[in-house]
Order: sequence, then structure tokens, then C-alpha cells
Amino acid sequence: MAIRACRLEELPPGSRKILPAGRFGIGVFNRDGDLFALANYCPHDGAPVCLGAITGTTESTGSYNATWLNDGGILRCPWHGWEFDLQTGKSVVSPTKVVRTYPVHVENGWIVVED
Amino acid sequence: MSAPLSNLRFPGLDGYFYPPPSDEYSLDFAPVGGLPGSDPELLSRQLLSEASIDAVVLLPLTRGLLPDVDMATEICIGTNKWLAEEWLVHDTERFFGSIRINPADPDRAIEEIERWADHPQMVQVAVPLQAHQPYGQRRFRPIWDCAAHHKLPVAVHADSLGGNEFWPTSVGYPIYYLEYAAQYPINYIVHLMSLIAEGVFEDLDDLIFVFADGGIDMLFPLIWRIDSDWRPLRSVTPWVKRSPVEYLRDHVRFCSQRFEGPLDSRERPQWFDAIDAEHLLMYSSNYPSVAFQSPEAFANAPDATRERVLGRNAIDLYPKLGAPIPRG
Repeated sequence: MAIRACRLEELPPGSRKILPAGRFGIGVFNRDGDLFALANYCPHDGAPVCLGAITGTTESTGSYNATWLNDGGILRCPWHGWEFDLQTGKSVVSPTKVVRTYPVHVENGWIVVED
Repeated sequence: MSAPLSNLRFPGLDGYFYPPPSDEYSLDFAPVGGLPGSDPELLSRQLLSEASIDAVVLLPLTRGLLPDVDMATEICIGTNKWLAEEWLVHDTERFFGSIRINPADPDRAIEEIERWADHPQMVQVAVPLQAHQPYGQRRFRPIWDCAAHHKLPVAVHADSLGGNEFWPTSVGYPIYYLEYAAQYPINYIVHLMSLIAEGVFEDLDDLIFVFADGGIDMLFPLIWRIDSDWRPLRSVTPWVKRSPVEYLRDHVRFCSQRFEGPLDSRERPQWFDAIDAEHLLMYSSNYPSVAFQSPEAFANAPDATRERVLGRNAIDLYPKLGAPIPRG
């Protein structure tokens, strides 16, 4: 089922909207022109994950060594801080835990999410 | 003084704090006119013959976290010489020993490890539980690197109280021995968390820490807490690639303590399962302490667990122990 989220101008880069759709709501994000839609439900404990901070994450090649990466592409759940990849919905620490994602595209100037 | 306090040990001049209600070491283990645990022949008879133990790993203590670094190191050097020359020679097949080192003196600690690593009866390195920094911190890394290189586990045991340690709790001074004794050895968890969080186990595949003062009964509740924190905090220490509980079987062992586990012995089989005794636990006697525990304490453990706790885990951990001596 196709859901019209909003006009493209209403979701500028760096912003998000929570749609009253799906079982828990759907968060739509604009990252530098790329659009992502995720269920507003954290697989860890049911938090409204789409309300969390958009940030980056770290990886390491050994003790005390940390590189910052994927800035703007990580959603941190507001309840317990779990990191989720905005594009795939996968948890960074536990990749089998996934936030459900939805296909999203632009049609005639409208952002459309497929449920 | 009047009773009952007149019956307690009178404070000495040098330090009193939490004296055990009776002597720490049992006179049962003392030769006539000597100190408990001072006679290799007596130990041999009491442990190897009477208690049917096949081999002993001796872990002598030193004098605590002495502020004089050189003194502490000299005591380790002397202890290792003494152990080799007066104990290990007594029975080259069944007596094994630990290389005492002073973690506060990393260069000389490494020298000591190098000096004894190839001795056929030295099976591990030994350090005090007490420290001024948790053992995962970077100044200690070269020492563990050396131990791991020689495939020597590092045993941690509460040392004597002669030093200037931070102590005994973070909420003040308890009064009675009862309050102090039960919780003090559990400080190993601070070292364990540090070793995990600083990536020491991640970097050193061959490093194994043996917490030789008990405390395995507290391990899992604490690891569960650490694990649930690790998941949201992963990005702060991204070099911790595995969840903390996953480091245990490859990098951590415990020695049994008499005062552990459920008081009701019928609960012990389930208990051994809950603490992963089969993989993590090794029997220790605590000889010549009053807290001596004979191998009989594991008599009603499930067979597989008992076999591993009473021998197999130690044989796997200390290859120099060789094949078990068959008992008729």
C-alpha cells in the first residue's frame, strides 16, 4: 500500500517526519537528498526508535584506535542507545536485530512510502 | 579487657584491620616446630598421598602492594629462586610453580618471566589482586604480551596486606571480618572488565587470566550487566569486538574457593551448570589455609564436570603438567 508522506520540499536534507502509518508509525528521513523510511519500533525493547539522534559510528583496528564513519547514516535509539544503520535498519552491534525498513520514492513531487 | 572482646586477636603494631577470627593458616599443615605450608615433604604427604591429588601448582604470596617498587620486585625475584630451589626440586614430576612478578615494575617483571618461562615446572605467572590500576590499562600491556608469548597464564590472587592499597570498599570501612572477607576477592571483576574493555583479550589470543581467589559464583550476574551495557556503548570502545561473555571460555579461568556456591549441596549440580564450571573452574585446595578444601568437595558434581574441574581443565591450561598419572 502506498502512503503519501508529504511534499518533497517539506522534508529538506537533514530532517525527518514521523507518519501515523504502520503499526507503530513510520519515520521518513532525508539524508543529503537520499530518503529512508523505518518503522518507529526498536527491535530491542519497542522504543520509538525514529525519535533518536542521527549520528555516525566507530570502527577499530585495535585497542584505543577508533575511526569515525557513516556520519549522518546511523540512528541511535533514544531509550538504550542501540545504533541502527539508516539504510538497512540493521543494528551495528547485533546485526540480526533489525528495524523494519520501507521502500520510499518520489512521485510527482510527493514522497511515497510503500507499506 | 573483658570477654568476649578479650578473646579476639589483639591488634598488632603494624596493621590489624580485619584479622580472621583464628589464624589464617592451619597448624594441621605445619611440621613440628615449623610454620604451616613450610615443609615440602609434609605437603607431599598431605596432598599427593592422603588427598589423592596428582599434581600441585604452588602459588606463593608476596608482601602486598608495597610502595617501594624495588623492594616488591626483589621479593618476587627471591620468591621465585626459593620456590625453584627448595620446592620444585623436591618433586620434579608433581610439583609445579608460579613466577611471581611485580606489575608495577613492568621491565623487570618481563625479565623475571623470561628468566623462568622455560623452566619445566613453572606453569604460570602470578600477580597480586591488589593494584593501583586495573590490569587492562596500557602500562601493563607489555607484561601480558610477554606472558601470552610464552603461553603462560596469569594467576591473580589476593596478596598480603603489607602495602598501600586502595581498600577495602568504595563506600567506606566495614567493621567486622565478616563484612570484609566475603566481598574483597570479588574485586577481580574490575580487572576482568578492564582487560575486556581495553581490548587486551582481543589483541592477545593466547592470554588467559586465572582468578585464583574464587568469585566464580559472582561472575555471571556481573557479566550479564556488562554485556547489556556493551551493546549500547559499543561505539565508545569499538575494539571490543565480541560481547564480554564471549571472552570467558578462551581467556578466563577460576580457582575454587571453599566458601562458594549454594549452602544446600543438593543444589550444587544445577549450580555447576549455571557457572559454566565445566569450562571455567579448576579445583584449588587453599593449602595451607584454614579454608582448605579437599577434592571431595566435588564428589557430587556431575561426572563430566567433576572430571574437568578436578583435572582436565588444569591439564589443558598448563601443558607442562603432562599426562595425568593413572591412579589404580
